[in-house]
Amino acid sequence: MTKILWLRASLISKVVVYTLLALAAVITLLPFLWASINSIKTSTATFEPHAFIPFLNFEPTLDSWRNVLSDPQAINAFISSVVVSVGTTVFALILGVPAAYALARFQFPIRSGDIALWFLSQRVLPPAVVLVPFYLLMVSLRLVDTWIGLILCYSAFNLAFAVVIMRDIFRDVSTEIEDAAKVEGATPWQIFWKISLPLSVDGLIVTAVLVFAFTWNEALFASALTSQSATTFSALVLASRSTRGVDFNIAAVNTLIGIVPPVILYFFVQRYLARGLSFGAVKG
Amino acid sequence: MKAMHGRPAEYGAVFKYVLLLPAVLWVVAFTFAPLIFVIRYSFANYVLGMGITGYIGLQNYADVLASDRFWHSIMVTAIYVAVSVPVEVVLGFIAAWLVNLGAPWARGFRTIIGMPLFTMEVAIGYLGVTLFSSQGGLVTAVLELAGIEVPWLSTPSGGIAAAILLDIWRWTSFVFIIVLAGLSSISSDLYDAAILDARNHWQVMWRLGIPLAWPVTTIAILLRIIEGLKVFAIPYALTTGGPGTSTEVFSAMDYLTTVQFFNFGQGSAMGIIFLIMVAALITVFFKQMRKRLG
Repeated sequence: MTKILWLRASLISKVVVYTLLALAAVITLLPFLWASINSIKTSTATFEPHAFIPFLNFEPTLDSWRNVLSDPQAINAFISSVVVSVGTTVFALILGVPAAYALARFQFPIRSGDIALWFLSQRVLPPAVVLVPFYLLMVSLRLVDTWIGLILCYSAFNLAFAVVIMRDIFRDVSTEIEDAAKVEGATPWQIFWKISLPLSVDGLIVTAVLVFAFTWNEALFASALTSQSATTFSALVLASRSTRGVDFNIAAVNTLIGIVPPVILYFFVQRYLARGLSFGAVKG
Repeated sequence: MKAMHGRPAEYGAVFKYVLLLPAVLWVVAFTFAPLIFVIRYSFANYVLGMGITGYIGLQNYADVLASDRFWHSIMVTAIYVAVSVPVEVVLGFIAAWLVNLGAPWARGFRTIIGMPLFTMEVAIGYLGVTLFSSQGGLVTAVLELAGIEVPWLSTPSGGIAAAILLDIWRWTSFVFIIVLAGLSSISSDLYDAAILDARNHWQVMWRLGIPLAWPVTTIAILLRIIEGLKVFAIPYALTTGGPGTSTEVFSAMDYLTTVQFFNFGQGSAMGIIFLIMVAALITVFFKQMRKRLG
């Protein structure tokens, strides 16, 4: 980061900068705080938005947490989300990373960047547009309302991330060691598996986290392709919005449970994040 | 490529296809093949339980184009994108600039400001109901203190505005993260030079920051527009399209046509029409990405 601008700044500028940053941080954190407070209120107490401090303004209770956590549907949805997100991540990486490596290291009749772009092109399709064929495909494969059905869909959608980001990461890894290994008589597979991949672990982790988060947060396909046993947490949240109406405290608990897992993962990855999010178009 | 001196043609000639093809086939099977079916269904008369009973030419297209609900959802989506994306870009850029100044604790601010991007959108929309509710909503309560009363969720414009505010909260972080990466990759020598002949901070930002971060910002803008046009979760979870269908975005409309009414013919035609409408944008997006991907 550019220290020089900061060091040369006047005291007033510094105060202004901190004020703005603090404001941004507060606005970012406020919904979390609001949800946390509502989650320990009773349903009636939630209609007192001014009661903000536990014990002082209102009597905190864990009832809504117990309510949600004792609901087998919510537990089942949470497990579904974990299984589907992890499954998708693993599957998208198994398919995408080797392809990315091939595009980074070898030449194809078509320009490598154009193949990457082709992978990317599916991302412009509004998901609702391909919903019909996907639904019918899942019906014919008897995969409606199954984890596998969702994993198949999601891995296709997220493959673009894995391919485009990892291609970019692999291209950054120096080929000197690979060349040396080649001279020693290593096979292409050994070079990929034992040299390039271990050198790209950081990028691999960021890609995995992004795929996990996007899968975890997806709601449209999750709602359309599941009905009960494979319902994910996001689909459950969407459904409870319309079926249960809005109990502020229950909504708060649901929100927090839904939000926390990917946000925790986010804390561990920052380095390649911009590259990943821009499909490698932004260099880190 | 530099990795292949010696015998470039032979080394890994089969191997590379073994690595690449599974992914290609997967995408063909699960994205491009379904798209062909979408085209087919858009010309078909689909009856639930019976499947395609015949082809009816452009009837589905005509029905969609004659539907007020469709045009209304297009308009809502357009307003949504036209308002939220510029705000997100400006706020995201400013936040990135401020963090990039390198003040003490800047890293902490970076972590916090980037966080919303990883939150579940339907959950944010759902939480939004409790923020904007007329009874006990946080935003409503805060505005009440200032004597302002906004009918957020009971009116169409209030509902759209609330959804846009949530969208800005969620997606500014995206622009922020990308622009910050662009700004921090500018060499500090350039800052040193710029600061010598600039009269103040703003000049450094206008003359150096914005021009140098512009290519990266373009990508952020394009990705935001593309994603924004697909928007579903936040507005749908917040208002479920209501009151009535007044705040229904395109994806929600298409989703309901397909999943609730099982009108696969119109649902497909709608998707194709939408793609044609945004084709120009998609072309610009691909041109830019092609330049960057190399």
